[in-house]
Amino acid sequence: MSFAFDLYVDRPSWLHRLDPRTKLAFVVFSSVLLLSSSHPLVPAVFLLGVHGILWSGKVPASRLRWAWQRMWPITALILVLWPVFYPQGDEVLWQVWRIRITTQGLWQGLGTALRVDALAFVFLVLLFSTDQTRLVRGLVKLGLPYEWGLTLAIALRYLPTLYGIYTTVSEAQQARGWVVGEGNFVRRIKSYLPILVSIIVTALRLADNLSLALAARGFQSGTKRTYLRELKLSPADNICLLLLAASLIAFLLVRFQYSPGIHLR
Amino acid sequence: MEDLHYAYPPLTPGGEPIPVLKGVDLRVQKGEFLALMGPTGAGKTTLCLTLNGILPHLVGGTFRGQVVVAGMDTRDHGPGEMSRQVGLVFQDPESQLFNMTVEDEIAFGLESLGLSPSEMEERIAWALEVVRLTVLRKRHPLQLSGGQKKRLAIATVLAMRPQVLVLDEPVTGLDPLGRHEVLSVIEKLKREEEVTVVMVEQDAEAVMAWADHVVIMEQGQPVLEGSPRQVFSRVEALHDWGLAVPQMSELAHLFNRRQGTTFHFATEDEACSAFAGELQPNTQYPIPNTQPPTSNLQLPISFEHSPAIQVKDLSYRYNDGPAVLTEVNLSVEAGDFLAIVGQNGSGKTTLVKHFNGLLRPTRGRVLVLGQDTAGQSVGQLARKVGYLFQNPDHQIFAPTVWEEVAFGPRNLGFSEREVADRTTEALALFGLEDQADTPPAVLGYGLRRQVTLAAVWAMRPQILVLDEPTAGLDWRSTRTLMEEVTNLNRQGHTIILVTHDMKLVAEFARHVLILNEGHILTCGPTRQVFQQETILRQAFLASPPITALARRMRPYGLRDDILTVDEFYREYGGLVWRDEK
Repeated sequence: MSFAFDLYVDRPSWLHRLDPRTKLAFVVFSSVLLLSSSHPLVPAVFLLGVHGILWSGKVPASRLRWAWQRMWPITALILVLWPVFYPQGDEVLWQVWRIRITTQGLWQGLGTALRVDALAFVFLVLLFSTDQTRLVRGLVKLGLPYEWGLTLAIALRYLPTLYGIYTTVSEAQQARGWVVGEGNFVRRIKSYLPILVSIIVTALRLADNLSLALAARGFQSGTKRTYLRELKLSPADNICLLLLAASLIAFLLVRFQYSPGIHLR
Repeated sequence: MEDLHYAYPPLTPGGEPIPVLKGVDLRVQKGEFLALMGPTGAGKTTLCLTLNGILPHLVGGTFRGQVVVAGMDTRDHGPGEMSRQVGLVFQDPESQLFNMTVEDEIAFGLESLGLSPSEMEERIAWALEVVRLTVLRKRHPLQLSGGQKKRLAIATVLAMRPQVLVLDEPVTGLDPLGRHEVLSVIEKLKREEEVTVVMVEQDAEAVMAWADHVVIMEQGQPVLEGSPRQVFSRVEALHDWGLAVPQMSELAHLFNRRQGTTFHFATEDEACSAFAGELQPNTQYPIPNTQPPTSNLQLPISFEHSPAIQVKDLSYRYNDGPAVLTEVNLSVEAGDFLAIVGQNGSGKTTLVKHFNGLLRPTRGRVLVLGQDTAGQSVGQLARKVGYLFQNPDHQIFAPTVWEEVAFGPRNLGFSEREVADRTTEALALFGLEDQADTPPAVLGYGLRRQVTLAAVWAMRPQILVLDEPTAGLDWRSTRTLMEEVTNLNRQGHTIILVTHDMKLVAEFARHVLILNEGHILTCGPTRQVFQQETILRQAFLASPPITALARRMRPYGLRDDILTVDEFYREYGGLVWRDEK
């Protein structure tokens, strides 16, 4: 069922119980680390580690398979195109006309591909184990204005609805003999007009009603808002945050103090 | 509510304000269940919006007079404060369920009130209990059925513990089971929690059965007020305003007018005892009637026994989902008027979408006018099968009504001359000549429905599929639409009607198909299908009140396969006449 564009899988695990802020900190830490090192080993180790976290967090294997199915085309693309378009270094493996393949190019391609995969999976750790309400609550708690958080949550909530409206509207017009126009870009865009107009009108009506519904439920009534689920950092959260902080310091030390060969030049 | 006037702000800058409420005086007693009825555009929804201060605080406009709810004047208190006293439930569930779980949905209003988490837990549990959704607490609102969504929408405002509950068409678009679920919850609230209920509703049978007090609105003013019994005895006035009347009141009125009787029954029980007093028990059972309902007595001139649609062993499942249709076999004769009924989710829409190729069989075949739909595009099938979608706004896009109607024929590739001819004719047929240059989006709901029907009609399809065309229409617009459709049927067009309205089915359809969980429960002539009480109950359906009454009168020699009020009158008259002889 496509009732939600939601990756969340409800499971009783330590990962699910962690405060969304802790997981956000993990995402930020990992992104910094991954973006500032290009040796293929770093993202490779990360990928393994993240899979370990997902496994112990009881995220079902079917979700991981789903994620990899979506990741492999881009992975393959980077692996093939990177060495072709960024032929750095002198160690030429293969050359035809002006296309050179170098060892360094291959390594960097592998590094980039793994880095993209690792980044994606780092975000998936957050998205697989945090429902959208808690995620938005976490962001609000970190300083995002509540109205923005609500807007974000509503946008996520109504994506499937808008998709449903699109399906119905295009079916309604197809039943009247409408077909996607052929020919150049402008013609094709123009042929979508009957669908776009109906969708926009319907969406505006929806938005209008939504604002009334919010008012009917006392939104912005002047009373200070409370929350059903207050986010609180548990001992587990504190341990994780400490570990993250320690890793970050260690990384920074290694990276700038001793500047060893993490960087392949 | 005293001398309330309200006009919406003008649509365009510098335009005229749009007056909707024109002097409303209304008093609602504490603990009362008030039903608000009126034709589309009478100002019912606007009235609801004034009750919690959304009007004029959020929308602006010209506001004169006074609305006092639970001692609070809405001029001094905005919707934020009023929401503690007045729970407003809107018509469209989609736009008021904006959270990710049922629980969060209810919590939203409570969080706005600034309640403590423990208090919220308590109220959420209570509200879920009242609307019987406790087990679905962690579900996504979009996973709920239509009736469950409406009940959740009620729970969201209920948890805020308002003294007054205002519901705008809470059961429109629901199947019979969903309607009963919602209405019984409202009734329970009124009875056990002493909540005052104000409900906008079109369905006269529901109002008669559940409400204490009825107010009829017409052009921004209350025109008639009283108990349902009193109000519905004014049959002619109500019909003049374009409103429906419960069948029992209509029956009493028919007898009183034609026979000078003084019946004032309003329920089946009362009608039964009123008639039983006049008749002798009669063990002789009359010969079954094989005629189609009266309005369709006249058969089309060219009624040939050739199938318009044949469905062979059709099974369908959405990608990886469970089967929606299983082994469906069906043959619809050309010129038939077939009604397809069943609960929401029984596969009605899925079935009819196969007729114009929007869906393709997972297994089995569908033949339209003898040709397999496989290998025919939706566009090609559009010449043979017209399909009217439930919500007119899903297809309206053009700047004028004329353009909207011309869209279909133009898509089919006719010459501009032919397109113009067809458009002009379609506009004339559906009485839309005067609106030809108006943007369809600004027309009232009933007229927008007419425009979409004209637009489908302009393609001259042999077969016309109508998917719940009357949902949200008032009585008069419904009558107009059904009369037009019946006319097309008389000219030989095959009509396939998907609906929840059993009164319409009884009056207009020749055949009825009952779907239940993707299977055909039964398919046959309307009269026979409505006699199969067990099968109807199995699909959570019920025959119209008049049929139920006739069935109870069977020991007195009355036919039990009566479909309309007129038929009952004639049959009853026949009995009395025979007795006198």
